[in-house]
Amino acid sequence: MSEEKRLHPITTVINALKTLREAFIPIVILVFLNRGEAESILDYLPFFIMGAMIILFLFIGVIKWWRFKYWIEEGELRIEQGLFVKKKRYIPFERIQSLNYTEGVLHRPLKLVKIKVETAGSSASTDSEAELTAITKQEADELNRIISSAKKKLKEEQSELVEGEEFVEQEPEEHILYKMSPKDLIVMATTSGGAGVVIGGVLIFLSQFGEVIPFEAVFAELVDFVEAGFLLAGIVAVLVFFFAWLIAVGLTFLRYAHFTVKLVDKDIVITRGLLEKKQTTVPLKRIQGITFDQNLIREPFGYTSVTIESAGGSVLEKDSNAIRLLPMIREKETYAILDQILPDYHWKTEFTGVPKRALKRYIFWKMLFSLVIIGPVSYFFFPLGLASLILIPFAIILGWWQYKTAGWSASRDQMTLKFRGISKQIVYMKKKRVQSLEWTQTIFQRKGDVATIHATIKSYTSGSHSSIAHVAKEDADLMMDWYSPEAEVKKVHEPTPVPEIDTP
Amino acid sequence: MGRQEPKMRISERALTVWRLYGWISAAFTLLAGAGVTTLALIFDWSVWFIIGAGAALVLEIILFVFVLPTLKWKRWRYEVREEEIELQHGIFVVTRTLVPMVRVQHVDTEQGPILRKYRLATISISTAATLHQIPALDIDEADQLRDSISALARVAEDDV
Repeated sequence: MSEEKRLHPITTVINALKTLREAFIPIVILVFLNRGEAESILDYLPFFIMGAMIILFLFIGVIKWWRFKYWIEEGELRIEQGLFVKKKRYIPFERIQSLNYTEGVLHRPLKLVKIKVETAGSSASTDSEAELTAITKQEADELNRIISSAKKKLKEEQSELVEGEEFVEQEPEEHILYKMSPKDLIVMATTSGGAGVVIGGVLIFLSQFGEVIPFEAVFAELVDFVEAGFLLAGIVAVLVFFFAWLIAVGLTFLRYAHFTVKLVDKDIVITRGLLEKKQTTVPLKRIQGITFDQNLIREPFGYTSVTIESAGGSVLEKDSNAIRLLPMIREKETYAILDQILPDYHWKTEFTGVPKRALKRYIFWKMLFSLVIIGPVSYFFFPLGLASLILIPFAIILGWWQYKTAGWSASRDQMTLKFRGISKQIVYMKKKRVQSLEWTQTIFQRKGDVATIHATIKSYTSGSHSSIAHVAKEDADLMMDWYSPEAEVKKVHEPTPVPEIDTP
Repeated sequence: MGRQEPKMRISERALTVWRLYGWISAAFTLLAGAGVTTLALIFDWSVWFIIGAGAALVLEIILFVFVLPTLKWKRWRYEVREEEIELQHGIFVVTRTLVPMVRVQHVDTEQGPILRKYRLATISISTAATLHQIPALDIDEADQLRDSISALARVAEDDV
């Protein structure tokens, strides 16, 4: 596999489509600019431009494909590309964390995959990664095998195996941890708020075509409609919601169908997708922390979503910067699965809450903020605007709820923070993964002897920040002591054991 | 009582530099104020525009030249121990940061023209996910600190 290779020619089409997608909005504008009656040849100009653009995109796609070469040499994946500026990128195998596969609609009939090379990427440069847009599955597997065996060999050399112990290459063991059922998918689509997003999207879409749709006529009919009875209107509303829900379910199926989590050797492999199959690989040792996220609808039903913060990797992954490990699952079912992946984490911890004096601080700022909205709204829309007063109870409830949720725990090697924006989040972090710990204290907080604690872990190329507001100042200091290597050393040397910081 | 404050202070010359920054930004405010005054005179605006511009200038000089630099300097503490770096700063919001030495990826010192004139340098400490700065240390001290931090910082492969 050391000879230079090109990607599959379908790459040209994929590249062209990608460029076209980016140019989608300008093209739409061009089309709409030309909506009037065509009187002269000039009115067709936008279409000519468009046609020329599409041909140009295709042409660029071909050139790009022609100039893109990849090969393996001296334990490196080497990629050469570029038309005017030749770019060469050499990625040493030991820097490669994993190869992530994606099978798009165009890939599948041809048995091709897109490969994203995930690197350790300690620097923030987006240049540190590479993508092979379309290669055959055999080539991909071959590449994967070469890289992983080279990495293993490297490790073997480093650890200097005892003589006589032969390095045996075995098929990595696959172990399915979790599979999502269609029922789970439906529940997920229903509780994700996706239906709301769809309705919003439809409304925005409709508003874009304001000129096309005769709104006045529609409104006139709508008035008749309302007169015809609220029942009918109600039925229509239900129908709209039902269709929005159907679309949300459909979208969820497209993205998350066949969602499977596997443990392969020391990697977590997540596969998902209906039309476009995606495979994400996360090496276990790159996991920086685990987050449980419960939104308002899921919380009462005991459902949660589990995401992984992972270090390094590609910025190309647009979904989010955290990887969804278990998108939708009953909280009590998570622990059995997670224990198989990360046995050294403690999932059920006792949390220390924030002191009572924090409650008014949680509520105060939300009240103030709601008053900032209520004031002007009530003033300018006088009688109706008073309805905004309803924000006050909401502010109080949310503040109280956040106060109730906030909590922390620090055991020997793990810190767990629990907090709520609107959704409840629990973040599990190992001490050795926390990059820095910080407390901040405003003047008002100093009066109440409370502080806000912030922990940062690495997440891709930047940091992921978790904080709890208004913990007791002495607790903030306790956490600092827990985190401090110096304090740890002192603790060891002290004759009498210091009480465990783990919650009372 | 909790953890002790970090012991070391930043250079006293930082005060001079920050005041200088204050004067420089005041000079820009003066320019803007002069602009407003001219416009007010030409277009016959209310006299309050001129008074406002003057007040803003005075307020800025008081705050950014005299009051805030002193407060900021008083609050700034740092301490580099064998296994950790601890920082504390902030006037209205006090921030205390703890960075274990093993988390440190690299250390930089940098100085602009003004800092160089006063023989000062800023130290930037980077971890894999965060950046921490100590502004305005004496250049010799900064160099020494940079060398000792980078000697103490060892990155274990597992720990990123």
